[in-house]
Amino acid sequence: MRKGGEGRARLLLVILIVTSLFLITLDLRGVKVLDSFKQGTQTVLSPFQRAGAAVLNPVKNFLSDASQLGRTGSQIEKLEAENAELKIQLLNRKNADAQLAQLENILDLAGTAGYKIVNAKVISQGSSQSFSQTITIDSGSNAGIKKNMTVLSQFGLAGVVKDVYPNSALIQLASDSAFKVGARIAGTQQIGILSGRGNRSASLQLLDNSTTVKVGDVLLARGSIANRPFVPGVPLGYVSQVDNSAGAVAQTATIRYYTNFATLGVVAVVVSGPTSDPGDSLVPKKPQVTPIPTVTVTVTPSPTASN
Amino acid sequence: MLTRQISVATPIFLLIFIIQEAVVSQFRLPGGGFSILLIFALTWAVLSQPEVAAVIGFASGILMDLSQSASGPFGQWTLIMLLAGYAISYIGYGDDNIHANAIGIVFFVVIANFLVEIAYLLTGALLGVSIGSIGQVVITLFGMSIWALLVSPIMLPVFTRLHVLIFDSRSAV
Repeated sequence: MRKGGEGRARLLLVILIVTSLFLITLDLRGVKVLDSFKQGTQTVLSPFQRAGAAVLNPVKNFLSDASQLGRTGSQIEKLEAENAELKIQLLNRKNADAQLAQLENILDLAGTAGYKIVNAKVISQGSSQSFSQTITIDSGSNAGIKKNMTVLSQFGLAGVVKDVYPNSALIQLASDSAFKVGARIAGTQQIGILSGRGNRSASLQLLDNSTTVKVGDVLLARGSIANRPFVPGVPLGYVSQVDNSAGAVAQTATIRYYTNFATLGVVAVVVSGPTSDPGDSLVPKKPQVTPIPTVTVTVTPSPTASN
Repeated sequence: MLTRQISVATPIFLLIFIIQEAVVSQFRLPGGGFSILLIFALTWAVLSQPEVAAVIGFASGILMDLSQSASGPFGQWTLIMLLAGYAISYIGYGDDNIHANAIGIVFFVVIANFLVEIAYLLTGALLGVSIGSIGQVVITLFGMSIWALLVSPIMLPVFTRLHVLIFDSRSAV
């Protein structure tokens, strides 16, 4: 390379590095110009994401169904018997039914607690390249959604609104490793802090060293001042494992979230909290064992002609 | 010449960014999935001269920072991609063992993908970004590398042809 060219390349590299560091500094100092850049980008992207979600939902369902194919022979035979057109119709119908079922459960949950909600479809699942767990929904500030509002799934807490754009919003999922929520054990006043781990499990750190938890205990959100970011009483999950380390200041436990973050299709944003704390009214009912009727068949030998 | 290159490269970058955000991000793939923009930028960086690779890294880093799923401060991806683009081009520049065969490029892209993610984690830790449990991070790192290994060979012919179309100075694979 020529000497002059080498010098220019070095200068270019230095300028680009300085620009990057300048951008980082601006962002860490909270300069709003960069926020508007991001907001503008999301405004442009959201129609593409909506279109992508609409087109790819049947494909996603097909892939989901295809992964189940090897598990039951009857399903394979059934799917093989269907023609392509019927498959697409069925997949579209299943998609709508699944979303409807999720929506019904969310409305039940919100109605019981007295939350005012805005329903939204998930239009993007986010990317793991930045080691964060987020989704994008198709409602934003135009629908009354604001930053730091609670987001519900059909089973309980899904996450919190991280950023809001006119027609979409970014949700930080409860599974995100940076996610933290104050939790209360149902039926008691024991409190702790629940932290995401990057998957469906979370860790609970109790605040009082004289309290204990046991496997199966249900956790509810404690709620925040003015119901933001968290409304009280939202089911979070249940204790799946208790850590009884001798040296720990307070007990810790592993929690399994009620929400399956991989299958979120419809969510609800709580735009207005309840007038009073719903207490333990949202604790999911334990599955009841249904007695299976036993049929006893007694064989009575019929008289034969030879006798 | 430069104006032509920039005017053709810009819509390509934007298109790849839209594909990443509107299509790839629709799927929650096991092991963290992949970033087509990251693979694209690294492939182009391998094929380019160091200073061009730095600009490619800078542009793709800006787009990655604009993505909603970017959890760090704005500019973090820009800095990492700029340095990564320059570094991998500098290491591989003039080495025909890398440029002359597809396996060399794929190998370089996958390794670079892995190192870029580690650099993101380290700088994120310095900048106060929460990265989560070690186990989950390790799964994501290896998952993304495996995805990059699967996706890179499929996309390589397209990416190299686009590179030749714009820069037409290096060979297509």
